[in-house]
Amino acid sequence: MAAAAATPYGVMKGAKLGIEEPREQVNRIRITLSSKDVKNLEKVCADLVKGAKDKQLRVKGPVRIPTKVLHITTRKSPCGEGTNTWDRFEFRIHKRVIDLYSSPEVVKQITSITIEPGVDVEVTIADL
Amino acid sequence: MGRKKKFIDKKNSATFQLLARDSAASSSLFPFPFSSSSSSGAEAAASSTSPSDRVFVRVDTNAFSVPGFFDDDDDAAEGRVVNADESRDSAFADAPGDTSDADDDGAASSSRGRGGGALPDHVRREILELGLPDDGYNYLAHLREIRNAGGGSAYYQNPRARFDLVPLDVKAYDASRLRINEDAVEDLAGDSIYSVASRTASVKVQKVADPDVAKLLDDSDLSRFGSDVEDLEEDFVVQANRPEGEEEEEEAEEDEDENIEAGCERGRHPTEGAEHGEAELEDQRKERVRRLLDEQFDMLTLQEYDDDSDNGDAYSDDADRETLSSKIVDTLKKYGVGDQESSTLSELEPSADVIRRCQEYAEGYLNESQEDEEAVLVQESDDESEVWDCETIVSTFSNLDNHPGQIQAPENPKKLLPTLFPGEATAKRDVIALRGKEMLPVDYLHQKKRNVESTKKSKAEVSSGSDKLKTRVRKEESKEEKKERKAAVKEERREARRAKKEMKGLYRGEAQRAQMVASVSGPSAIHLM
Repeated sequence: MAAAAATPYGVMKGAKLGIEEPREQVNRIRITLSSKDVKNLEKVCADLVKGAKDKQLRVKGPVRIPTKVLHITTRKSPCGEGTNTWDRFEFRIHKRVIDLYSSPEVVKQITSITIEPGVDVEVTIADL
Repeated sequence: MGRKKKFIDKKNSATFQLLARDSAASSSLFPFPFSSSSSSGAEAAASSTSPSDRVFVRVDTNAFSVPGFFDDDDDAAEGRVVNADESRDSAFADAPGDTSDADDDGAASSSRGRGGGALPDHVRREILELGLPDDGYNYLAHLREIRNAGGGSAYYQNPRARFDLVPLDVKAYDASRLRINEDAVEDLAGDSIYSVASRTASVKVQKVADPDVAKLLDDSDLSRFGSDVEDLEEDFVVQANRPEGEEEEEEAEEDEDENIEAGCERGRHPTEGAEHGEAELEDQRKERVRRLLDEQFDMLTLQEYDDDSDNGDAYSDDADRETLSSKIVDTLKKYGVGDQESSTLSELEPSADVIRRCQEYAEGYLNESQEDEEAVLVQESDDESEVWDCETIVSTFSNLDNHPGQIQAPENPKKLLPTLFPGEATAKRDVIALRGKEMLPVDYLHQKKRNVESTKKSKAEVSSGSDKLKTRVRKEESKEEKKERKAAVKEERREARRAKKEMKGLYRGEAQRAQMVASVSGPSAIHLM
């Protein structure tokens, strides 16, 4: 019962209704997208959200996690001579999180369609 | 107030990463939850490839299983757990998987469910068919395609070869006439092959080889090994001119002649007897043709070793006379062409006047004999040497006897030191003065330097002259004259400088030359520059 209550969309496991419905189990799915390139990342996020919404899934929009910046500060000079100038390099990591309620297969479909280079996708599936 | 319930509990969930097929599972030794640089490469690969090349790779080790995400999840979870563990913790996590778990990760097929290293069924079947053990290793990777690649002699398919024209290399044995004995049939068990073969009659079916080849192979006469130019006899001309009937006699006479020259004993017999007597002997000896060398050897033996024979001088004289007479007769016969009655000639003249004549000739002959020997020798060399050409003749000369000089154009005596040095005139003592830094005999240097010296001297004079001018005219000058004077002085100075430079260069050149000489001859401690 709790399972039935907890699955607003999905059918009970194993039970088959007259109407053909996808035999799917609804899980909580968290898609974590991370990249150093904001533009691509935003594009992928938008695509994912759009795809999920097309499939009438419950989506919690892209949550922007604060950007992590790695700094590397090195001397410019290869030798120790000269004015002590320093290079300040940084590496920015952007992270977006999308939460879904759907079955794993659907998620697979969604994620198979759209991917930009440089964007790392991580999917965490948990039971509802 | 308690925390709001998290959307996802990480400990009870399965985490997957989207990666390209070939890459290893995610790595991290990196504290951050996002992927490390290695898998960022993977993620780049994942994104750039088509959707089918990307797969979800489980990266966590929870007990949670997702039935929908993989085809056979249970095995995958277990297998995946192990791999993920290894991949996360090992230092080689970055490395591409060399076991098949990378392939397993990538394969979206049913083969993914197996433990690491399992080969597909058809591969295993093939390996087993080949007789190789089925231990999970893909032995098919070591198979070599059998090609006609040589190995010493490969069969070359010649499209233009016509085998019907080539005669067969077979011999057929007609066994129709073969009769095997009844009693031999019992023996057949023993060595049947040999018994059968011994009784067969060979029947030639086809010629094995070309007639030319057969001819060449039929090497019975070794005619090609014989020399083209056979040794000619010494008097082949005479022989050739002689009518043929006499040739045999000629040979007999020759032999006889040589025999007579060789032995005194033979000389005892009267010549006619000798001839006839020895004809038989000669016939026997004709087998081995006597060469001039043999003749000479016999003569040598006679002279050197047979002097102690029993013959007294008188007898030997007689013998000599006899031999000489016979010699004369024979040589006359030799060079007398067309002498049919050679045998009778000696019969005609057995008388005393013959002996007298012989004695006369004998002295002359004895005197000549030595020359004759030499002549004979010369003759031999003439005969044996075929062709002398310039190079061979020249090669017989050697520099030990010959000291040929090289023809050169006569040199002009320019390079010689001049006998008269200008410096000599000025030399007061019998000492060669060495001057300058390099200590060179200035007076005896080359012309160029001497000229420079002279110019220097002239310059010195000029400068001295100009000095005089200077001192004289200083009071009565105008501006232009002053200018002129100053210009002249400048000019002199310039000249002096130039001359000095030149001298310096010359000195340095000379010093260099001297240094070179000293480096070869003198001790190395001397530094001339």
